Amino acid sequence: MSADVELNNVSVTFGSFYAAKSVNVKINGGEFFSFLGPSGCGKTTLLRAISGFQDPSEGSVLIDNKDMSGIGPNKRPTSLIFQNLALFPLMSVSENIAFSLEVRGVSKGDRQKRADELLELIALEGQGEKKVHQLSGGQKQRVAIARALAVEPKVLLLDEPLSALDLKLRQRMRTELREIQKRVNITFIYITHDQGEALTMSDRIAVMNEGEIEQIGPCDEVYNNPLTPFVATFVGENNPLFGKVKEINQNKIKIETPDGDFVSTMNENNKLNIGDDAIAFVRPESLFMPRDGDSFDNLIDVNIESFEFEGNIKNFYATLKSGTKIKFSIPNAIDTSSISSGTKLQLGFESTKSSILPKAQLAID
Amino acid sequence: MKPTYFINFMMGMYIFIFFAYLFGPLIIMSITAFNSAEFPSISPWECFSFRWFNEGKIAYDGQHLAGLLSDWRLHDGIISSLIIGAGVVSLSVPIGMAAAIVLTQVRSQLRDIYYSISIMPVLFPGVIIGISTVVLWDRIAGLGGDGFISDVGRNGIFLTILAQTCFISTYCFLIFVARLQRFDQTQEEAALDLGATQTQVFFKILVPYLMPAIASAAVIAFLFSFENYNTTVFSILSDQTLTTVIASKVRLGISPALSALALTIIALTVIAAVTYEILRRRSEKKYAQSQEIFVKEKAASGRINKEYKAGFKVPKGIVAILLILVFATYGATQIVKNDLYGQSCIDAADQEKKSKFLEQLQTLESNELTEEELSGGSLGGTEDYGDIFGDPSLFQDFGGFD
Repeated sequence: MSADVELNNVSVTFGSFYAAKSVNVKINGGEFFSFLGPSGCGKTTLLRAISGFQDPSEGSVLIDNKDMSGIGPNKRPTSLIFQNLALFPLMSVSENIAFSLEVRGVSKGDRQKRADELLELIALEGQGEKKVHQLSGGQKQRVAIARALAVEPKVLLLDEPLSALDLKLRQRMRTELREIQKRVNITFIYITHDQGEALTMSDRIAVMNEGEIEQIGPCDEVYNNPLTPFVATFVGENNPLFGKVKEINQNKIKIETPDGDFVSTMNENNKLNIGDDAIAFVRPESLFMPRDGDSFDNLIDVNIESFEFEGNIKNFYATLKSGTKIKFSIPNAIDTSSISSGTKLQLGFESTKSSILPKAQLAID
Repeated sequence: MKPTYFINFMMGMYIFIFFAYLFGPLIIMSITAFNSAEFPSISPWECFSFRWFNEGKIAYDGQHLAGLLSDWRLHDGIISSLIIGAGVVSLSVPIGMAAAIVLTQVRSQLRDIYYSISIMPVLFPGVIIGISTVVLWDRIAGLGGDGFISDVGRNGIFLTILAQTCFISTYCFLIFVARLQRFDQTQEEAALDLGATQTQVFFKILVPYLMPAIASAAVIAFLFSFENYNTTVFSILSDQTLTTVIASKVRLGISPALSALALTIIALTVIAAVTYEILRRRSEKKYAQSQEIFVKEKAASGRINKEYKAGFKVPKGIVAILLILVFATYGATQIVKNDLYGQSCIDAADQEKKSKFLEQLQTLESNELTEEELSGGSLGGTEDYGDIFGDPSLFQDFGGFD
């Protein structure tokens, strides 16, 4: 059983401060939806508004098309997984998992049965008698998930639950979370500042900044067609090239920068006019060294400054004619022994792989 | 001598002096409980005896000196102290806990004010709390005529419970505040989110978390109540607690029965402390073992040294107990050898005192004053002191009081 979650014009204020401002989003039942944003952007506030710990100052939260105002967290069909997990240290693993059943007056036998079922779901069979402190980080994580699932909530809310784990474990838990979501088939609402987590697990993501949603969409769309400079630079990496709009025709837009003119495909919601301040974005992995016979929509001259080795890729840092810094990456499989500091190169990128957006705040500022 | 030896030596000296200062009086007092003499003393040592724990004695001059077992005033005092202690615990712990929980809910500047007001009772002199309680309840008792309120308002035990709770609940409050400061509030939220009501959150999450604080607050409250004198002495009215009984005894003349009582209380305290420590260590060990098993389960097999075995160590406690036993046996044999224990010794001592007493009586009787002595004699009588103004002309010119 899953439920739709709808936020209608939700604002949360603390004094004169907007923690969240006029948020509108409709999350479909059974969807894995992520709120992605830097810390302090208001995503946890939104989660608390959905779970019932925080009343919206304006607007309404609808779960399953029912207005949730005045309904406390213990009466909502949601379960929240806390950032610190908030497992009960004085109880055993089974007692933790069955807590929600205990407070609903379910008999001890049924509780035990359900706890055993859930322990199997999270691959911790036979470990129900252990105390919380006897579990490893990943196991605690899974117990928290099982505890939240025990009452069969319609919506599961997750507040950066993976942030305390090390990289390898985090990657494994991503897959596991996604699998659990598919198995139980309920709505997952996930909060994170880690774009990798959001992109790998979610069906759709909402990118938040300063209390407002900047863009909602499927992961690849948000990554490939960011609507604002903030989204372009927060989700993944992007090289900004500042300039002015020179030409607009059909679905192409041309920008004039000190380093040359660049063409990009036009974004539908783009409200740019000729002469407006704009930024062209191109991702490090979209910049290529042209080989014989290659042709690119845009070409750019760079002067290599330094490079770093990251494993699967190599990152090169270079300066443009105007002094603008730019980063591009090349797969490790390609031989780059000819490139060193001071090398002058010409790079190319496709118009479909870049975006030109009105000038606004960047995430890296 | 290396400087570290010197420092260690000085440190040892300091610790010895410190403990001697702390426990010296207690040890001396404990020893006097076993001396059969009427007045608590170590020297002269009469006989080793348990009489002050039992019946006491009837002195050679006919005065009855009650021992611990036969002193009914002491017993009544202990019983009312226990009742008051139980009452204070059952009031102070909930009040302190409630006040501490309220503190976690209060925000802004109000919090500081609330905190200051809450801890204020510990700063008041106990005497004032005692007197003000009596004054207040005297008024209240006066309102209701002869009924229940009048009885309650003039019941010393009831008033003492209220008066002591005034400041003891503050100590409980401080204990709870310290524990609550470390409470992870998300646990409450997690429980709420899982469907618990506020009441369930309180009983299933908060109370289990506060259990250690509840226990220590109860112990502290009881001890404070049991030993309190300056508030109790006013609020107890016509009743008596252990402390007021002891105080009145000290005023009338101290007896070794008090030493016996002190030793009993010390022994009970030590036993309780030792039991607690043993239980604590046991649970700590259990926790450590479970952690060890956990580590062994988790760690790669290469990281576990399978040959490792903890060597056998003689517990230090046993050495101490053996030492005490050896000294005790030596002392006991010495006492028996020198005939300082048992009825015969006591009889001999009594006999000696009785004869001394008789001797003194006889001396007194034979010392009847002669005519010469009554009329002044060489030193006594009117000749020296009869005319205390000396020169009869001294006040000649004194005109008298007009």
